[in-house]
Amino acid sequence: MISDAIRNKNRAVIPYITAGLPDLETTGEIIRALSDAGAAAIEIGLPFSDPMADGPVLQKASHMALQAGFTMEGLMENLEGWTSSTDIPLIIMSYINPIMRGGMKETLESFRGEGVQGVIIPDLPADARDLFNLCRGIGIDLIRLVAPTTTVSRKKEVISGCRGFVYAVSVKGVTGARTALPEEVSSQVKAIKAMTDLPVCVGFGVSTARQVDDMLAFADGVIVGSHIMAVIMDAPDPVKAAYDCFRELGME
Amino acid sequence: MKGYFGEFGGQYVPETLIPALDELEQAVSDSFRDEIFWDEFSSYMRDYVGRPTPLTCAKRLSAHYGLDVWLKREDLNHTGSHKINNAIGQILLARRMKKERIIAETGAGQHGVATATVCALFGMPCAVYMGTEDIRRQHINVERMRLLGAEVIPVESGTATLKDATSEAIRDWVTNVDSTYYLLGSAVGSHPYPHMVKMFQKIIGEEAHSQILEKTGKLPDAVIASVGGGSNAIGVFSAFIDDPVELIGVEAYGRGNGKNGASINFGIPGVLHGARSHLLQDTSGQVLDTHSIAAGLDYPGVGPEHSYLSTIKRASYRLVDDSQALAAFRLLNRLEGIAPALESSHAIGYLEQYAKEHEKTTVIVNLSGRGDKDIHTVLEEGL
Ligand SMILES: Cc1ncc(COP(=O)(O)O)c(C=O)c1O
Repeated sequence: MISDAIRNKNRAVIPYITAGLPDLETTGEIIRALSDAGAAAIEIGLPFSDPMADGPVLQKASHMALQAGFTMEGLMENLEGWTSSTDIPLIIMSYINPIMRGGMKETLESFRGEGVQGVIIPDLPADARDLFNLCRGIGIDLIRLVAPTTTVSRKKEVISGCRGFVYAVSVKGVTGARTALPEEVSSQVKAIKAMTDLPVCVGFGVSTARQVDDMLAFADGVIVGSHIMAVIMDAPDPVKAAYDCFRELGME
Repeated sequence: MKGYFGEFGGQYVPETLIPALDELEQAVSDSFRDEIFWDEFSSYMRDYVGRPTPLTCAKRLSAHYGLDVWLKREDLNHTGSHKINNAIGQILLARRMKKERIIAETGAGQHGVATATVCALFGMPCAVYMGTEDIRRQHINVERMRLLGAEVIPVESGTATLKDATSEAIRDWVTNVDSTYYLLGSAVGSHPYPHMVKMFQKIIGEEAHSQILEKTGKLPDAVIASVGGGSNAIGVFSAFIDDPVELIGVEAYGRGNGKNGASINFGIPGVLHGARSHLLQDTSGQVLDTHSIAAGLDYPGVGPEHSYLSTIKRASYRLVDDSQALAAFRLLNRLEGIAPALESSHAIGYLEQYAKEHEKTTVIVNLSGRGDKDIHTVLEEGL
């Protein structure tokens, strides 16, 4: 279970990686390396041609993975190998269109069938009740995002349609490393925690061990994406780079 | 469900934007019920934009095709296209919402110019996102925007055209959501944009409806308009939707080699830029590269209401390719002394096919904009 995997770690860090970069085989090796390095879970981002919630680093990663030939078919051939190679939960992050293309139900069922435990969809419909029920029926956690702008009544709605953990977006904006995170994150996370028993993890902008420490003072987990992908994209040995980068974020 | 046209439309956006869409929806519903708002809109339409635009009887073009062709002259609007109708409407809303900064995307540059214009008019800072490919081919409009005081931000990602400019505008909006109003240029995007943009463009159809009755004493047989995102088309269609009038949208067929902007003809329902509608995409759900000689039609999606009108068969969507549009551009110059925008040239270009199946019928073609911006492109192709 995703929520247990996060709770059972003192220092729950969830790395985000783009699938298919530099290729699907290496993605599998990166997953094992991050798992060995102590990740609580891994978020696997599916590349999309028009990633409107992403900053320059993840846009570039998406673009390069597509150029390198990423397809849904290729992903499906590899997923089972990835999930069975590790004990930690794998979560898929995808814009809704690639999931919809193969049929929402069919695609989510295939993910589940291959051992994926959760999905994050940054552009899911505003009224996501049907999608939540679909995911619950399939047995895959629908992880929802709460933004700094989210109103109290909307928070209630989102949290009641959420499983696995609540993803607290730290900043108004797109993904990408920030030198400073807003003060309000702590009160935002506390407000969410007061409304749910689910773990609350902070994501967007986190790139240093110091920031991870700061966030873990009040949050149950932290998601690190752009920072790791920037390192992976620049490295001659992406597997080793991913491992080292993750270790540098600090250990239990 | 809220904000859907049948199974199309909706709100598929990052969570950060949900309160902004709610706020916009509230402002739209308050303003649309307020007579003072519409009075203000009408006075700008009349005294600033120069409406009503004429409905011109195209005598020589009619003789050429054996039809009775009327042109709705949106090219005569201030700034040269229908885009100004929507820009005025939305900036009045943005002011009511006390927003401090305006952003927009643009393809052909017509919407960018319209937005920069209304920002100058109301003294508001303005940033316009534009793909570098479009900056190259619509250079005159880039200079116009800069003269008007807008910042033109080049977008190099993806195909460096309208879809990428739109994604970049959305990223700006997510980042500056409190202060910034996103002045979207077509009947696309999340609810309430498609509905709101239609309400501002409806004036085209309303005028044309009464003008044609006045001039011919009867309704037309068909109304023809080009479809990029679909704002000029939905604007003119909406006034005829309950009448026995054929509604024909014209999509860009590009060079006819598979790359085009014809979402309804070749797309599959999917989600891009916040709404579900027909989308040009591959088997993995990746959005396809598009091509049209008309920058304003070079877009892989389409407004959700057009997807709906096509599904219920109330409107049909036909194809005109680059060379047919260029031929129409030249023809209208020679026969009527009018240079149409390359987008509008697609609507004119459809008459060639239409005339093969019809005789002496009365048609209104929405001449959505003027072609000065395209002379460079047309000359490259040779007169
Ligand atoms: C003159 C003109 N006509 C048509 C269009 C296509 O847009 P829409 O389908 O929203 O009318 C554009 C877009 O830039 C345009 O400039």
